[in-house]
Amino acid sequence: MKKCMFVLLILSSILTGCWDKRELNELGIMLAIGIDKVEDEYRVTAQVVVPSEVSTKTSTGRSPVILYQENGGTVYEALQKITKESPREMYTGHLRMLVLGEDLAEEGIAKSIELLSRYWEIRSDFYVAIAKDMTAEELLNVRTTIENLPANEMFNTLKTPEATSTSTNGFTLDELIANLTSDGKEAVLTGILVKGELEMGSNKQNVESITPAAQIKYDDLAVFKKDKLVGWLTERDSRGYKAILNNVHNSVTAISCPKGGKATLEIIQSDSKIKGKINKGKPEVDVNIKVKGNVEEVECQINLNDQETIVELEKNTEKQLEKTINLTIETAQKQYKSDIFGFGEAIHRSNPKEWKKIKEQWDEEFSEMTANVKVDVKLVHTGTEGNSFLKKIEVK
Amino acid sequence: MMQDVKINSYQFLVLVILFTIGTSILTVPSALATDAKQDAWIATIIGTGIGLLVIWLFITIANWFPHLTYVQIIEKLFGRWIGKALSAFFVFISLLYASELLYYFGIFLNIHMLPNTPMVVLNILMAGIVVMGVRLGLETFARTAEILVVVFFVFFFILVVCISPEIKFENIQPVYEMGTKKILQSSIFYVIVSSVNAVVLLMIFPSCVNKMKQGKKTFLIGNLIGGIVIIVITFLCLTVLGVEKTAGEIYPSYELTKKINIGNFIQRIEGLMASLWIITLFFKTTLYFYVSVLGMAQILNLKDYRPLTLPLGMITVVLSLVIYPNIIYQKHFDETTGNSLTLSIGLFLPLLLVFVYAIRKRTE
Repeated sequence: MKKCMFVLLILSSILTGCWDKRELNELGIMLAIGIDKVEDEYRVTAQVVVPSEVSTKTSTGRSPVILYQENGGTVYEALQKITKESPREMYTGHLRMLVLGEDLAEEGIAKSIELLSRYWEIRSDFYVAIAKDMTAEELLNVRTTIENLPANEMFNTLKTPEATSTSTNGFTLDELIANLTSDGKEAVLTGILVKGELEMGSNKQNVESITPAAQIKYDDLAVFKKDKLVGWLTERDSRGYKAILNNVHNSVTAISCPKGGKATLEIIQSDSKIKGKINKGKPEVDVNIKVKGNVEEVECQINLNDQETIVELEKNTEKQLEKTINLTIETAQKQYKSDIFGFGEAIHRSNPKEWKKIKEQWDEEFSEMTANVKVDVKLVHTGTEGNSFLKKIEVK
Repeated sequence: MMQDVKINSYQFLVLVILFTIGTSILTVPSALATDAKQDAWIATIIGTGIGLLVIWLFITIANWFPHLTYVQIIEKLFGRWIGKALSAFFVFISLLYASELLYYFGIFLNIHMLPNTPMVVLNILMAGIVVMGVRLGLETFARTAEILVVVFFVFFFILVVCISPEIKFENIQPVYEMGTKKILQSSIFYVIVSSVNAVVLLMIFPSCVNKMKQGKKTFLIGNLIGGIVIIVITFLCLTVLGVEKTAGEIYPSYELTKKINIGNFIQRIEGLMASLWIITLFFKTTLYFYVSVLGMAQILNLKDYRPLTLPLGMITVVLSLVIYPNIIYQKHFDETTGNSLTLSIGLFLPLLLVFVYAIRKRTE
């Protein structure tokens, strides 16, 4: 009996997991998926790693990724058809990017992402972006230089804090779905596009020259209403959006000096609070933003050693940020009538009873509502120097 | 009879904790969030409170007959034939629940980890250990529980610490929006799943625990600790995933562990974290199975329950495969028929016992 058990134990350690085994060398690792709408069908483009090209030893200079493309009535159907072209089973657990074509976005994105939230293998930690002025297929067809794998380049570009600091912002699938399903908040997505000559993108020359003919670049944010793309925010509005949503760490803002000229400020910390309330039966929000920043560049004649100057700079920054934010809110209210900031959610949180009354006509209420924006800026230091050398040579 | 088996009160405490957490860790957050929305965590707190009352009822009954098991108590109070019929019903339901838990185990792995492995294989594997555990006896698996509860709480602690940076309190605001009625309604479901079911522990509680007095306390404390774990899990699901996602997911706690990402270094550890509910599921299944086997042996007046383990184990596996045609049916069954079954053996039967006991005492 004991011997028998011993043999069984040894066998079980060698023979475990045979049913669902999937060897790495039998899998095609899918890094990016693009979805477009072609007539009535979905066109799914999958960017799959060519393993031999990723390792430095066996690399022969061929493309590190391959694009598969199929049409289908549903997304899964199209995805499944790819197996007919690929010798390997598709593995989606390492998905990095989901790119949706602009045409699809205008028709509505909800149906096309349902699979991705339901399918067991897919984790929701990848970014979703909208291909601006092009199809997702065209976008995924561009080779990149620094990161061998285009999907990784897209993912990392969005992830680095510096990139999120400008006018773009990454959204994962979870965040997108949360925004889509929320009553008092509309979705926003990152725009992505190809700079330069699109046709050159997939060529090998694209990664061989110092200045690639086609480069992938993130652009401003796309505004949604329900699940339909209604327009794009400008760079200024994207900044305003990020300031309200508390995502402006490490971002850089140019401000005007008291006596003309410009200075640049780096925001190191920001803390925004949205508070909803009902004032005389009308919805209202208070947006309070506390910002900490450093002076990083001075291109004007000011005396930085003077406390007064610092206070004045702080005031200027506050004014400028408030202006940007107010203009952004106005764009969302008047142009798109889409509550991308979650003001409705804020009112729901503070006053659930009143929210029930205004919920149905929230779009109209939102476009009429008042938002009291207050920015409080504190400057911490002025970089490695006090007064600028510009002061010495008196450059105007 | 195997009445010489005794476990100490700490081992009993551990078993109660694991039993209470059992399946609730997987199903309660989503079931409660469907009705009570962002107030589901309040419902779990209320539910734990009500659950303690139910446990108190069980303890009262156990107190009257410190040397008998539940099946024996029923037989003593209702007489031979009615008693046996009621006990058979009780045993049947706990066997049904044992196979239901096997189904839970199989379907969870089928959905999230091993989609191509047939469920029968997974269920046989699990049932194999369960049968083995029961054959080795209560003492053995109580000691196993003593070891594995440490593993459970270490993983649980890791989960809580790793996920806490993702908490967003906006997700549970406005607090108390759904009102008392909705919250109470949904907390009832929770009470049934984690406390009323604990009636099966009456098969081991008074008779197999060596110190009656401490045993009473540990029954309550164990239920409370289990309840706190569920409160924490529900709270984390709501604050991290949000209401819609928690209600929409079939296993929100698993989705929760997928979210763990610390410095891009500690991530993708959900497979490890799944051992949390594999452990609790195993002990809940084992307890159900042990109770049904022991109960059946006592009904049939057998000297030893062990000969029953293998045949009943096979029945459990087969039952677990045919019990539900699909997972939607399972959800529906749990919320309707399952609840009534649990209430009938876990609440009405004990109340009836109290009633009959009172009458008998008076006539004596």
